[in-house]
Amino acid sequence: MIYGSAGKDHVPGKPVRVTINGRQYRAEEGETVLSVAIREGIPIPHLCHEESLDPYGACRLCFVEAGKHGKREMVTACTLRVAEGLEVTTDTPTVTKHRAILLELYLAEAPKSEVIKEMAARYGVMKTRFLKKMETDDPLGGKCVLCGLCVRACTEIMGAGAIGFINRGPYTEVNTPFLEPSADCYGCGACVKVCPTHAIVMEDSGSERVMKSWSGTRVPLAQCDCCGRYYAPKELAARTLSALDPQLERELAGLCPSCRGKQIAEREILARQGGAGNHA
Amino acid sequence: MRVEAEADLKALQATGLKKLKPDKPRIAVGLATCGAAVGGRKVYDRLREAIAREGAEIDLVQTGCIGYCREEPLVNITLPGKSLVILRKVTEADADAIVRAVLNGKVPEDKALCRVPAWDHVTGFVMEYGKGFDAIPLYQDVPFFAPQRKVILRNAGFIDPEDIGEYFAVGGYAAAWKALHGMEPEAIIAEVEKSGLRGRGGAGFPTGLKWRITRDAPGGAEKYLVCNADEGDPGAYMNRNEMESDPHMLIEGMIIGAFAMGLRHGLIYIRSEYPLAIERLGRAIGQAREYGILGENIMGTGLSFDIRIARGAGAFVCGESTALVASIEGRTGRPHPRPPRLTDPEGGLFGKPTDLNNVETWCNVPAIVANGSGWYAGIGAKGNTGTKVFSLVGKVDRVGLVEVSLGTPIRTIVFDAGNGGANGKKVKAVQTGGPSGGCIPLRLFDMPVDYESLNKAGSIMGSGGIVVMDEDTDMVDIARYFTGFATGESCGKCVPCREGLKHTLLLINRIQAGKASKKDLATLQEVCETIAATSLCGLGQTAPNPVLTTLAYFREEYEAKVRP
Repeated sequence: MIYGSAGKDHVPGKPVRVTINGRQYRAEEGETVLSVAIREGIPIPHLCHEESLDPYGACRLCFVEAGKHGKREMVTACTLRVAEGLEVTTDTPTVTKHRAILLELYLAEAPKSEVIKEMAARYGVMKTRFLKKMETDDPLGGKCVLCGLCVRACTEIMGAGAIGFINRGPYTEVNTPFLEPSADCYGCGACVKVCPTHAIVMEDSGSERVMKSWSGTRVPLAQCDCCGRYYAPKELAARTLSALDPQLERELAGLCPSCRGKQIAEREILARQGGAGNHA
Repeated sequence: MRVEAEADLKALQATGLKKLKPDKPRIAVGLATCGAAVGGRKVYDRLREAIAREGAEIDLVQTGCIGYCREEPLVNITLPGKSLVILRKVTEADADAIVRAVLNGKVPEDKALCRVPAWDHVTGFVMEYGKGFDAIPLYQDVPFFAPQRKVILRNAGFIDPEDIGEYFAVGGYAAAWKALHGMEPEAIIAEVEKSGLRGRGGAGFPTGLKWRITRDAPGGAEKYLVCNADEGDPGAYMNRNEMESDPHMLIEGMIIGAFAMGLRHGLIYIRSEYPLAIERLGRAIGQAREYGILGENIMGTGLSFDIRIARGAGAFVCGESTALVASIEGRTGRPHPRPPRLTDPEGGLFGKPTDLNNVETWCNVPAIVANGSGWYAGIGAKGNTGTKVFSLVGKVDRVGLVEVSLGTPIRTIVFDAGNGGANGKKVKAVQTGGPSGGCIPLRLFDMPVDYESLNKAGSIMGSGGIVVMDEDTDMVDIARYFTGFATGESCGKCVPCREGLKHTLLLINRIQAGKASKKDLATLQEVCETIAATSLCGLGQTAPNPVLTTLAYFREEYEAKVRP
């Protein structure tokens, strides 16, 4: 995708100057306005943006007014590419008005999310006029805003495709197919990491990692050969190690990160003292 | 046989004409889905039995639909040398009488709707049926037909859609021959541009320009040409009838487009809810391949182009271009932000630049090529040229498909063709453009139907549905119905559409239950404005139109239901 390759195989674009709220910033052609704003510390609220993924445009919170030569249009900053002479204004009256309604919708959709409450409060929205979604057995605890980041991280970054969207429209939810434990889940936790509202629950319990939000999917953990601790999902560890320097794999595979660190340090010391080891 | 010389086409036309105008009587039953739904197939079966019983020399065939839904089942009778006569509301019980009359060189005049002495098939052929039956009104004097101009439905109801021979008979594929053998691709694109043809799916984008952009996009012949046949608006069935009644007209349009854009691969994306259209298109594609009109070396030109059918699984949002592409590729039909547009490099189907046009857009193309852009531009209004088929439904007296020049006032469609409200009721409003269109009140009925005027009134052209509402219609309920439809069809990707429409529906339900206050009306207005301004795709951007227009034009109906 030439339109959404930020972060992947990055080739620096032509330098351009973009004006945001009256100040000029340097940027690279091809960057999105949202990326520039994040880098420069200009606050634009967003929920579905992740630098390593293509622009998605689902949360509709990053609206700005932008254009050239005095023309202005309301557009999402995550899908808007910078160009020489582009002028952007973040908190115009129109943007503020619509954003407030969107935040009210979010407050109703994810009434248990502190992140949403804080974000809404930051923009002066303290309560919602809309009926709050109340579900007693929601695996995402009333915090999910369906931004899609977990699904996309699972599919596009990890290549697992363990979770997906179920149903459509207001009935949309995210979970495993047929709400059954997933055999495709690596238990990598990328979904947990990218979730903007901390809705996904994952817990390590003994020799297993339990993806509580994903239909109770259980993933076996690898045990450290040295200290016996469970430290990473088995299959994911094997996959990762198989892609590494084979010598490293032979000697250090099967150790948890902490034991691995100790081993490497020990060998370095031995090598300097002229002892055994071939890592000098 | 393969069509490789102009003489082949002429010979096929002559053969086809013997079927359309045989030297014996011909009875044709309108058997599009609409005709079949009101018993047309039984009428056909009884007629077949009656003909067999009498041992009569009568050809019995099926045709598509001329569009006069209220009068169906419709049956055409052609007696050699006489005007074609269209019979209305034919039942099984009429079969024997029809066959007996035909054997006596007559038609059952009490069942006659109109007669057609000659019919212009638009793409260069005028069928002369003959004279006679002077007591039966002429086609053009029937009030439902009088304001109409048939360009797209030029063959609908006259030819057998399952027989390519009858399409050849009325000058079919002559425009494709002319384009492929006598015109440069650039000249075709220029003609389409000059004709002023705009996208009939509703957005009104200039077709010629879209073709030019696609042709100029990188990728050589490895690009796609797609026909959008995912017609999903409640109460709209123009495209269904176009495909069921005259599938070859669509194929011919696509061939001309493929040649103009230099493409090899064509696809028709059609909803599974249209089984008869799928069947007839499949058959038509097969026949066109047999005659060397699709496939390799089309019409002896060395060009290759073929069409495949992709079936949609019944999601309204898949009519949106990016969701449509996702659906064909086997992904969930969820739109993505544009750009990239379909015509962009890597933006279209399977990552190739793709031209997407609506069924009706394609159907206009052979007529433009056959008659020239000047002829086409002379129909309709400036900037809104050509005709448009509307499905006139709801509480209107004469329900049916009405094809009029763009720029025709709503009043003409609803009152002249439609004869106003059903059962003598007063018409209050029309809703245009499907579930995402707006409601236009009676006082604005002098407004011409064109892309811009409809937008100005808060509605859209959409694909061409016109739903009539009368004095008994509760406009709040209308808004509730369409909002419910849009909510159910929202893909759920972006928050204004997914959550906003849901709460719109909840608010309207509150109003209908008498539990809402004036404050709720303000909230309703606000949330609808935000949905329209912030949704990701056209579905969400237009879904609040029914609420916003009824709030603007029929506010008193809302206010009567809420507490102060």
